[in-house]
Amino acid sequence: MILHPAIIALVASSVLISSLVLYAVWYGVRILHSWDLRSGSSLQLDLERRTYLISTVLAYVFGFQLVSLFLLIYTADSLSTLFTGAMCAAGTFNVNFYGYPLLVVKIVNFLLAGLWLTVNYADNRAYDYPLIRKKYAFLLFLAPYLVLETVLQVRYFLGMSPDVITSCCGSLFSVNASGVASDLAALPAVPLQYAFTASMAATVVLGIIVVVTRRGGCAFSFVAGAAFIIGIASLISFISPAIYELPTHHCPFCVLQKEYGYIGYIFYATLLGGAVTGIGVGVLGPFRSVPSLVDIIPSLQRRLAVLSVLFYTSAGLLTLITIVRSNLK
Amino acid sequence: MIELRDIRKVFNEGKPHALTAVDGVSLVLDARAVTVLQGPSGSGKTTLLSLVGCMARPTEGRILLGDREITSLPERFLTDVRRRTFGFIFQQFNLVKGISALENVMLPAYPLGEHHASLKKRARALLDLFGILPRESSKAEWLSGGEAQRTAICRALINDPQIIIADEPTAHLDTKLSREFMDIVGRFKAEQKTVIIASHDPLVYGSPVVDRVITMRDGKIEAAGR
Amino acid sequence: MGNWFERQRNIIDFTLSSLVRRKGKNLALLLVYALLVFLLASVMFFTHALRREASFVLQGAPEIVVQRMSAGRHELIPARYLGMIKGIRGVSGVRGRLWGYYFDPFSGANYTLMVPEAFSHGSGDVIIGQGIARTRLVGPGDVLSFQRYDGTPAILTVREVLPSASELVSSDLIVLSENDFRRFFGMAPGLYTDIVLTVRNAKEVATVAGKVQKLLPDTRPILKSEILRTYDTIFDWRSGIIVVILSSAVLAFIIFAWDKASGLSAEERKEIGILKAIGWETSDVLLMKFWEGAAVSLTAFLAGVLLAYVHVFFTPVMLFEPVLKGWSTLYPSFKLVPFINPYQVATLFFLTVVPYTVATIVPSWRAATIDPDSVMRS
Repeated sequence: MILHPAIIALVASSVLISSLVLYAVWYGVRILHSWDLRSGSSLQLDLERRTYLISTVLAYVFGFQLVSLFLLIYTADSLSTLFTGAMCAAGTFNVNFYGYPLLVVKIVNFLLAGLWLTVNYADNRAYDYPLIRKKYAFLLFLAPYLVLETVLQVRYFLGMSPDVITSCCGSLFSVNASGVASDLAALPAVPLQYAFTASMAATVVLGIIVVVTRRGGCAFSFVAGAAFIIGIASLISFISPAIYELPTHHCPFCVLQKEYGYIGYIFYATLLGGAVTGIGVGVLGPFRSVPSLVDIIPSLQRRLAVLSVLFYTSAGLLTLITIVRSNLK
Repeated sequence: MIELRDIRKVFNEGKPHALTAVDGVSLVLDARAVTVLQGPSGSGKTTLLSLVGCMARPTEGRILLGDREITSLPERFLTDVRRRTFGFIFQQFNLVKGISALENVMLPAYPLGEHHASLKKRARALLDLFGILPRESSKAEWLSGGEAQRTAICRALINDPQIIIADEPTAHLDTKLSREFMDIVGRFKAEQKTVIIASHDPLVYGSPVVDRVITMRDGKIEAAGR
Repeated sequence: MGNWFERQRNIIDFTLSSLVRRKGKNLALLLVYALLVFLLASVMFFTHALRREASFVLQGAPEIVVQRMSAGRHELIPARYLGMIKGIRGVSGVRGRLWGYYFDPFSGANYTLMVPEAFSHGSGDVIIGQGIARTRLVGPGDVLSFQRYDGTPAILTVREVLPSASELVSSDLIVLSENDFRRFFGMAPGLYTDIVLTVRNAKEVATVAGKVQKLLPDTRPILKSEILRTYDTIFDWRSGIIVVILSSAVLAFIIFAWDKASGLSAEERKEIGILKAIGWETSDVLLMKFWEGAAVSLTAFLAGVLLAYVHVFFTPVMLFEPVLKGWSTLYPSFKLVPFINPYQVATLFFLTVVPYTVATIVPSWRAATIDPDSVMRS
């Protein structure tokens, strides 16, 4: 374990957030068990009040996930000097088994929390809380992942031992940990460029279809989800070399640094935003026919689709500008 | 029209100190009329008033507002119905201390997201209507009894409610101010608003503007006054 | 959307005016909050600046230092090793270094004595660091006397005082000629303290170091990157230790914030009751509480960070200086280069604002769910 202020901050706050979520889950279980909107009993009134608490907690979790994701990357980056062969965050995440799973779980949790809030938003607009049980079942599904993230994070940081000078000899003959970045970057660039363009175009076309005809939410959602994964892969494969103007540098983390004008934050923000809103369209789809949601969901889906299209087109435009302006040909 | 069917309200349900405040009340309250709930303290009139005003949900029974059933609405929607339908005047007025009379009047409209300037304009117009515009920037605690009363009335009217609910409005007023209040109630009636008052002040239930007096005791209706 | 925006604005307006109305209560919280941010920010700014300072100093350091080890301890290295190392492919330069420590009973401090590659003054002359100039009250032209290894006095004339640019490392430094150095410590001519190498191609540093160790098994090559890494770890570790110590303060603060947030005065309780009664919904009150927390956090955070910034970079008094620097009793009074980055701010945010927010969620929610009819029941 490295006693670094940022590590302490990350671990402590994720433990706090996990306990808060477990607290919310406890009431979620009670809601699943004894919810009865028609009753005016004090138990029901209490449970209804709890729903406010749980919504608030999840809203904070969502915000926390977003900020802590970047803090984690930044911390990994600043720790890279401690490990031989680690040049930036990419190497630090590879110092033990837990690094990359942690990163993936963190992104998944961000998306899940965003989707929960989307469902919650729709449900709160219907006078009879039609999705209340599904929503809290979803919460029960989500909570283990948040706990898993805390566990992974603790194990990741606990398992770190920096390669420092020891009393007997220098550490330079310890295991050479390089080679991660090359694995990540081995994706073929040209097919990915086509895939990226195709996924962006498909998102826009299907998005327009959803907005105009109010149909095709499911297909749109699927494409938006795929566009997120393709977008991340493209960032590694051909967008980041264009930013660095180095054909061999594929790191998805260095783009977040000041040297590149923090451009990475815009990439990730647009991709994450596009994914949450885009997948949200599909998640809401099955509930369109619920009587109290008939007036609410279609318009919400349209707004989400518009947002998702805006996010993805910004990502696409940014990519285009980056590649055109790059000196790397 | 507000209809109550077999309303029961129990506080601390299922506990040793459970209290049945309203016990099986069925009632129809007419629109555009002034109704007074009368009875000794602890008779359940205030609780009944809070149930009618969508402030709390009954333990049992149904309440219909017009033809809409509001009993099973969650708080979120109940509040929305309440703030668009009812205006409340409380005993002791319950103005928020430390802020001006004008801000007190504007307070109920804040969550509705009206533009600040237009809201301010409406609030000032109301204060003007009740002749206390010169006192708009006075802090609530510096207002005289009469001014505080009129500020509270302005606050009740800011969202232009159809129904005005007043709980013991004259309890802390002298005779002159109490009469003045009933005159204002007369104005509400003339404007076709529904007024429901809980009071045990003869000056209130004896007033000529009152259409109907309902007497309550021990959470039940003793005389429906029709 | 305009509606949403106006709602936020109206509620923020009211929240701020409420905060101002309850100055007394909020001031105590604000002070404690800002103090906590200030302490943590001071530690972080300071260690970060030290780290930068150290890596700045090390930029000019040689890529590889070779030390001879004997019985697990650092031993003087024979001059004949120089030639052997020079023969390794990729090595572009080799030099034997002479340096050591001297305990000065007058100031009770350890000085570092060092022979430079080319000494610009003659025998009997020295160049000293700012720390020594300060404690021994000497300047150029003055004379310093020390005791040699055999008890005989060494009288040395100060020719220069080193500039304070990198005082962290040079504060306790005495630069002297090779001749004086050998006489001072009684070191035979064929021996050096250690050997430094320069390597032609930076990518071959590790290979060269490997070859050195193979050729001379009783030596230990130390790479610049390793020294940097070790410094980083030490500084991180030190600030981490302080953060851990301060975590009890954070915990106390969380309990304090929790207590403040849940201990609503009768007046506040009544006020929220009134708001709920006149048509505010639970989520409106929660929104108000959110903005309240945001305003308090933002104010305390900015105040704390700003104070810490001034404290670390512009005032001489340093709270944690002895713990965080401490490798010599001669504390350098150097000026750190003001430096702050978003990463430090984000870390601070997570150490203070997140715990505060978590501590206030449940109390805020409790306050927001006061029954609207409570005003009528009292």
